[in-house]
Amino acid sequence: MSFTSLAFLLLVGGAVLAYYILPKRCQWMVLLAVSMVFYWVGGGKTILYVFYTAATVYAATLLLGHFNALKNAAPKEEKKAVAAKYKPYRRAVVLAACLANFVLLYVLKYWNFTAGLLQPLADRLSPGAQIPLSELVLPLGVSFFMFQSVGYVIDVYRDKHPPEKNFAKLLLFVSFFPQMVQGPISRFHELEPQLLAQRNLDCTSLKYGIQLILWGYFKKLVIADRAAVLVNSVMGNPWSHSGSVLAFSIFFYCIQLYCDFSGGIDITRGVAQLFGIDLAENFRRPVFSTSLTDFWRRWHITLGAWMRDYLFYPMSLSKPFGRLGRYTRKHIKGKLGKIIPTSLATFIIYFVIGIWHGANWRYVAFGFWNGAIITASLLLAPRFLKWKEALHIDDQSKGWHLFQVIRTNLLVFLGRYITRAPRFLTAVWMVKETLLHPHWGDLTNGTLLTLGLSGSDFLVIALSMAVLLAAEWYQEKKGPIRPALEKQTPFVQWLAILIPLVVLFCFGVLRADYISSDFIYKQF
Amino acid sequence: MTSKQWLALFCATVLCLGACVVGFNWLADPFGVFTHKALEWSSYEMTLNPRTAKITYLKEHHQEYDSYILGCSSTSSFPTEQLNEYLDASFYNMIMYGADMLDVEQDAVYLLENYEVKNLVVNVYLDNACVYDQVTNPLSYSMPPETTGESAAAFYARYLFMDPRHSLDKLKAMGEDTYLTQSFDVFNEVTGAYDKKVRDAEAIGSLEQYYESYPIFADYPEAACFTDEDAITGTLESLTRIRDLCQEKGVNLLVLCAPVYADYWDYFDFDQVADFYTRLAQVTDYWDFSYSSVSFEPRYFYDETHFRNCVGEMALARVFGDDSVYIPQDFGVYVTADNVSSHIQDLRAAQPQAEESCTAQVPVFLYHQIDPQAEGDISITPEHFEAQIAALAEAGYTAVLPEDLQAYVNQGKALPEKPILITFDDGYLSNYEYAWPILEKYGMKATIFVIGSTVGNTEHYKDTDYPITPHFTWEQAREMVDSGVISIQSHTYDMHQWAPYESGQARENILRWERESEDAYRQVLSQDCGLIREAITQGTGEDQVHVLAYPNGQLDPLAQVTLLENGFDILFTTQASCNTLLKGQPQSLLGLGRYNMNQAVSVEQTLEWASDARG
Repeated sequence: MSFTSLAFLLLVGGAVLAYYILPKRCQWMVLLAVSMVFYWVGGGKTILYVFYTAATVYAATLLLGHFNALKNAAPKEEKKAVAAKYKPYRRAVVLAACLANFVLLYVLKYWNFTAGLLQPLADRLSPGAQIPLSELVLPLGVSFFMFQSVGYVIDVYRDKHPPEKNFAKLLLFVSFFPQMVQGPISRFHELEPQLLAQRNLDCTSLKYGIQLILWGYFKKLVIADRAAVLVNSVMGNPWSHSGSVLAFSIFFYCIQLYCDFSGGIDITRGVAQLFGIDLAENFRRPVFSTSLTDFWRRWHITLGAWMRDYLFYPMSLSKPFGRLGRYTRKHIKGKLGKIIPTSLATFIIYFVIGIWHGANWRYVAFGFWNGAIITASLLLAPRFLKWKEALHIDDQSKGWHLFQVIRTNLLVFLGRYITRAPRFLTAVWMVKETLLHPHWGDLTNGTLLTLGLSGSDFLVIALSMAVLLAAEWYQEKKGPIRPALEKQTPFVQWLAILIPLVVLFCFGVLRADYISSDFIYKQF
Repeated sequence: MTSKQWLALFCATVLCLGACVVGFNWLADPFGVFTHKALEWSSYEMTLNPRTAKITYLKEHHQEYDSYILGCSSTSSFPTEQLNEYLDASFYNMIMYGADMLDVEQDAVYLLENYEVKNLVVNVYLDNACVYDQVTNPLSYSMPPETTGESAAAFYARYLFMDPRHSLDKLKAMGEDTYLTQSFDVFNEVTGAYDKKVRDAEAIGSLEQYYESYPIFADYPEAACFTDEDAITGTLESLTRIRDLCQEKGVNLLVLCAPVYADYWDYFDFDQVADFYTRLAQVTDYWDFSYSSVSFEPRYFYDETHFRNCVGEMALARVFGDDSVYIPQDFGVYVTADNVSSHIQDLRAAQPQAEESCTAQVPVFLYHQIDPQAEGDISITPEHFEAQIAALAEAGYTAVLPEDLQAYVNQGKALPEKPILITFDDGYLSNYEYAWPILEKYGMKATIFVIGSTVGNTEHYKDTDYPITPHFTWEQAREMVDSGVISIQSHTYDMHQWAPYESGQARENILRWERESEDAYRQVLSQDCGLIREAITQGTGEDQVHVLAYPNGQLDPLAQVTLLENGFDILFTTQASCNTLLKGQPQSLLGLGRYNMNQAVSVEQTLEWASDARG
């Protein structure tokens, strides 16, 4: 069920009504029921994977909770011994839960990719042998709910909070419907209490929810879906376009991706807010990032945070990395020796983030690109500092800040070549074309108008992006917009309702696939 | 503003905007589903959805009709005018593009249950008989709830909450509407049929030209057979129910199977088609026009699936035994359960007509002035003129008149072996003085296209003092007509003016002035047609004035359509080309080319043009 379908709006509307009309103790059940309906409509039988994940996580966390309880119940002096006694069990349980989910995720999402890689080897070993391919349908939002659930298991393992003993309540945490499409990846201790809370109707919550939903639809329908037309047109056959058009389409892809993803998250968070639930922020105006590391702190924040908490830290603090650190400090002099383990861990993290996006060489390359840039900047940081001093660059100046923002956006832009091109090698070719054969005239000679968008579409995108950037700039520099808006006169506040609704209707809801009567009998 | 107030304002705004959209869609009603009169434009609404708009139209106008013809888009080409004449009825054409037999049945039931019906004609077109109960685009293909039993609320909600650009487009189209058919108003709401006034006024000539204009016929796409057994069963069941209902109500039912273009026919599996026709004969007797020599002639078709109105006229003439109209011999068979198997054998053997039996090549020569001191592009000396005519006569050419061509095309009457047409434009006195005697001498006939307002201008241009090449008088014209050698026809009454001699804006040709309104122009041209007809009839006794030579050879669709509406159905241009006439295709008379003759044209050239036309 798409966020942009009428069915989704009706489902949300019905859910809100039921949520506030039914007795408060039923509120979480309403959310669960709606989540099940949402998943069933969108994913059909793949809902079984949700149950599978919930069941494995439920079992694992109950066991972990049991061991934690035993450990915690032990007298102070025995605590260490008891902890040591159960540590292997706890580790086994957490490992089993991770494997149960990640192996399945691997089979669903990555097996066919691996099989494709292994097939030549299989051919050599045993000619004619065919590595079987998976025909399983990728379940809706599988990467999101599995990561969220595994995070919960690790939190229980770390004894951050006791396990949820009610399976239905846990199932709601795993399957809460607004975040099943594209996240965010929530934390149990933040989300679960909110899901289970009993609430009175809160008009402010409803208002904020509606505003956020409208903002999300604006980004998604008015900007992203429009930009996508040009992007798809060019990327459908990149070889027939000049370097400048390729670059322009990647620029539009950056717009499309940000507006589609962050717009979707706004809708998600807005819908959750209708039920009084605050979901974690997933984007924080990434266009203002000053470095690639900063970018990843602002873009898909919950994924980055998950990787940091559940992969980076455990890895950095693990024994092998400890040994590596000792080795490098001993054998490599200066700062370099100290930061090599961290750099390696960073590289691995971004590599995994790349792979997380999908099973394709493009994503491998994308992970590599991010990992390489960030690691390089870590390794070269001391040298940069010297250069800056030599050039008398003022860290605090606006010019330097602007340079950093532009540099970061340029790096992100280059990275998008890799993720959007049909193949990795095509991406390399596209970058080459952009640099060597740009034909800049194509940007002004009307070529852009042959790619599926009319002049008015470009105008809509340009004006909408101006509004979007102005709003983000305001948020970045001055803070939240809503309080400022609420200080305005009722008429202005009404305009802030009317104009978005009209814009959304005219440029978002009324779709480009409209067939006018002219086309019914074109050949008459 | 409190959050509560904000929410109330938000809900109110959403409701108001929704109400605006709904109200706008209701008011504009582009699909013709509501019965209100505001912004009514039936031909537009029928174009967007004939199913809904025609039922809505009939709610208001049903008393004007007592008979209906039903079917898919090809049904349009069975002209209701002919049906009215043959059955002394008042037909409405209920064609719905893409209609299958379920749509037809639903319409038939609605009409029979709600209105007085005398006759029901049902067209079973092969490809629509092979689909059943299909909906592609709900807005354009929905049947009204009265005919389907669909919930009226769901039906009307679909049209109230639709994309308002449909409504906006209607308003825009209102500003762009012209007298000629456009893509947004393809129906004639009064007859219910497609408004083919432009396509029916286009000149049709040789096959090569037709292929050039409509390449689909030259390069017909390959496609697989798409006969669907379940659909055929559904079609026959619907027809059975229609038949039973007609019997019950005492309504005369006529079933026709429309002509199918030969290449399109090949899409279908013949055995399945044979089976369908056999089963159809068990349900009802029917006239089958689907596959005959007509199917092989592209010029009988508008496009790959739609036969032309002239073919519909031939079909109805066959059904009602009208001998005055040319009908190819193998076109149309009355099929019953008794003869269906032999009919199917005949279908297998259908062949195109032999080219020479249904087409004729006719060269037309265009003269102006005969002048002993001939010079320039439009004059010729009497001697040279005589030499050309003598050579043509000697070579065995027979000069015919336009009505001979028409008799060939409309009635299939034979032409002489080597027919030619001799024409003169403008009506110069020299035609009377020199040409007429020479023509008479060689037994040749000719047509003179006179400009009504300059007939008898022997010295001055109309009522001015400007000198003019002398034109013959009405008396002289009458003399020539009475001799049986000359036919006097129209070069317009006063739409071939000489601009330097006119005081106001001149009408140098038949075309509309820039910025002149369509209505004003059509009135001028219609008036001119009436004046010239009256002048020639009164001046010469010529009883049939229906032939016209375009001044300067200039024409456009609006002029063509208006002339045809005013009864001018043989039209000459100045295009130097040979003419191909096709029996049963009156449009082969609508753009006859002519070779311009003058002193520079040698006798050999004359004979070459005459014989080229044969090659």
